[in-house]
Amino acid sequence: MTSQRHELRQLAQIQRWLQAVITHPDGVEAALSSSEARAEIDVPPDRIEEVVEPSTRRTSIERLEVYANAYYARLLECLHDEFPALLHAAGEEVFDGLAFGYLQSYPSQSYTLSELSRQFAQYLEETRPRDENEPSGEASWPDFMIDLVRLERCYSEIFDGPGAERLTLLRGEDLRDFAPDDWASARLICVPCLRLLSLRYPVHEYATAVREKQDPDLPDPELTWLAVSRINYVVRRWTLTRVQFELLEALIAGQTVGSAIERAAKLAVESGESVDQLAESLRDWFAEWSAAGFFLAIQHPFS
Amino acid sequence: MIPARLGYPNLGLGLGLRTVHYQHILDQTPSVDWFEVISENYMDSQGRPRYVLEQVAERYPIVMHGVSMSIGSTDPVNFEYLHKLRDLARATKALWVSDHVCWTGVAGRNTHDLLPIPYTEQALAHVSERIRIVQDVLERRLILENPSTYVTFADSTMPEAEFLTRMAEATGCGLLLDVNNVYVSCFNHDQDPFEFIRSIPHERVVQFHLAGHTNCGTHLIDTHDGRVINPVWDLYRLAHQLTGGVSTLLEWDARIPAFPVVHAEVLKARNYMASQLPGFAADARSTASAPESPLEAEEISHGQHEPGIPQPATYATAEFE
Repeated sequence: MTSQRHELRQLAQIQRWLQAVITHPDGVEAALSSSEARAEIDVPPDRIEEVVEPSTRRTSIERLEVYANAYYARLLECLHDEFPALLHAAGEEVFDGLAFGYLQSYPSQSYTLSELSRQFAQYLEETRPRDENEPSGEASWPDFMIDLVRLERCYSEIFDGPGAERLTLLRGEDLRDFAPDDWASARLICVPCLRLLSLRYPVHEYATAVREKQDPDLPDPELTWLAVSRINYVVRRWTLTRVQFELLEALIAGQTVGSAIERAAKLAVESGESVDQLAESLRDWFAEWSAAGFFLAIQHPFS
Repeated sequence: MIPARLGYPNLGLGLGLRTVHYQHILDQTPSVDWFEVISENYMDSQGRPRYVLEQVAERYPIVMHGVSMSIGSTDPVNFEYLHKLRDLARATKALWVSDHVCWTGVAGRNTHDLLPIPYTEQALAHVSERIRIVQDVLERRLILENPSTYVTFADSTMPEAEFLTRMAEATGCGLLLDVNNVYVSCFNHDQDPFEFIRSIPHERVVQFHLAGHTNCGTHLIDTHDGRVINPVWDLYRLAHQLTGGVSTLLEWDARIPAFPVVHAEVLKARNYMASQLPGFAADARSTASAPESPLEAEEISHGQHEPGIPQPATYATAEFE
């Protein structure tokens, strides 16, 4: 038993050592001298052959470099694939610099690569450069990149997340047929793939242009509200006004139709719009959104 | 008729199901014998990848091949992962589930690489114990593949082939013999690939993998980005002869050409089994559709990964309108 425990410990040590060596940001040679690697197996670079054998054509360090080079290259390729618009906007060098930092701060802990970028936007927020000359509250280049990451990550999550393709959606006539007296206290159940984004730049247009192989100019800041959902397994997006955004946000949160409209009406009045104008628009909005498959069901107040 | 191996049938010549070929497969229903899918691309999917897999599974036999089981890791077994794997296998009626003799991470991390194991007695006991746990959860015999490796450990006390043999005998698991990986690893470690093929327990081989690789002069990298080279076909001929023939699958994961090109490549396998096995007649179509010319630019429909990155690399990007 003693012998087995010892050897299993050795296997764990070898694994922790190899992982420390091949994921070190400064390469294998630097990694071999690092405290992290030497805490596991205390072997200096000139005695590395005691752990990893050389071949007739390559030294032990050169052989380890295959794994070290592959580690970042593989994960950067995945991020390139998932964030084509950010890659286009930032260029490969800047993109890889950001992603390289991200992978060190948030290394993958999941069996699936679809989780790899989950905290990418959060990392960019945490490391966002602050320009002292930048007017407070004004959107700038880092905000543009963060917004792009939020949008492209949202596309990925909706693409492979739960959808409504196998569910029966609420139709426009279902809404029209609903008893007007019950409407205000009813709740709309939204499809699980419906997500809302509030952004500082119109990054959706930029991202679409990149996916269409165009070379778009960087847009000026502009407050932007989007709904993103999925129809027949393809991700789609809709541009919203702020009032529409607030209304949908309240409905997704499970508020009654009445209180969601109340919230929207308050915002509309603050923006100089009349309640009558809003009332006029509401019928069209609900018709559009039900045609777009945003709603699964309407919950009767007494059900 | 070739008898079933460890209860698993010889499915013929199959291909890895890849995103860029989804539409072609759904529209054309090509005459492929079977498909192998990367388990991790589908086990959590609730979108188009899973939908496509269900369509494909209705029309073709399916086998699941994973890259994150991490059977050799000293981290605790991830039962959530195993339960999802089992559920996907049930849902798709997968004929078997395979992964690699490797570890992918430790201390809670995943490098998403197939990292090498030192071939020691204790590693053998550790891996064997975990295989038994996995087989209990999956309620089926696990199939494990020899990975391409780029280093060997001074601590190893036995050759890889002996490790695989004893592992299979101790656990009852089957083997997925990746012929290209044998070639790549043996080149990298100054070993004889034919001797490797002769040394493994042939009666435990359930499946073959074939793929292309990148020759870097001093070493080979398993990139799955091109055709199978002739020396690998020669190894395949020997493996086919020694095993009597098992399900054969071609992997093509980077610079993926149009579907007919990939299909033609796996059909070449018939040329290497016909002379060895009376039950298999050479197929005129396969010979005719096996171009030897270098890949033309227009054949490449999608470049997922730059050449030079070792496999695995599995990620499905969102389709957007």
